[in-house]
Amino acid sequence: MGLDVDIIFKIAGVGIVVAFLHTVLDQVGKKEYAQWVTLFGFIYILFQVASIVDELFQKIKSVFLFQ
Amino acid sequence: MIKLIGAMFIIISTTWTGFEASRHLSERPKQLRQLKSALQSLEAEIMYGHTPLHEAARRLASQLSKPLSWFFESFAKKLTDTETTVKDAWELSLKEVWKLTALKQAEFEVMKQFGETLGRHDRHSQQKHIILTLTHLEREEADARDKQDKYEKMVKSLGFLTGLLLIILLI
Repeated sequence: MGLDVDIIFKIAGVGIVVAFLHTVLDQVGKKEYAQWVTLFGFIYILFQVASIVDELFQKIKSVFLFQ
Repeated sequence: MIKLIGAMFIIISTTWTGFEASRHLSERPKQLRQLKSALQSLEAEIMYGHTPLHEAARRLASQLSKPLSWFFESFAKKLTDTETTVKDAWELSLKEVWKLTALKQAEFEVMKQFGETLGRHDRHSQQKHIILTLTHLEREEADARDKQDKYEKMVKSLGFLTGLLLIILLI
């Protein structure tokens, strides 16, 4: 359970920092950089979540489809 | 424990980078202003003091503060010690000192062009050239101040936030 809480905090932290970066870059008129930063943050988190969901599916498989 | 120390190092270094970049941005208009006042004093020395160029440069070096005073010092030294033209001495000292200042290529070109006219005309045309150079520098200063207003804060917060992001990604 400890790992799960850790990863939630991590995702939240990335979200907050990326949001700040987006605002700062937006304010000085570097809109395209702001969008890239947000996109990369999103992709990174997406990979993390995908690997966790993958773990979950493996577990379900091992519970229901036991050979 | 080791993780915490590493995180501290990362955040200190990125924040420092941000502050250094913002210092560079705020230094440029300041040095441009100094350069302008230096040229104005040079004009006064030429027009009203009738001072020889190496003498005037030496006086300017003692009046100004650090990075620009080096320039006039080396200029005066070259004029007295070596057998060169004013133009060459001016250009060489510009090249030597320019890396130590926060000034950019545009100002370098302006100053180089000014050096080509220095000491080749009578006093009144010389004054006109100085005024022309001052106008160019004025424009550069406005540009530099514009950039400072726009980017100084951004660079600072960008450094800190990048450090924070890096730490979160690495933990």
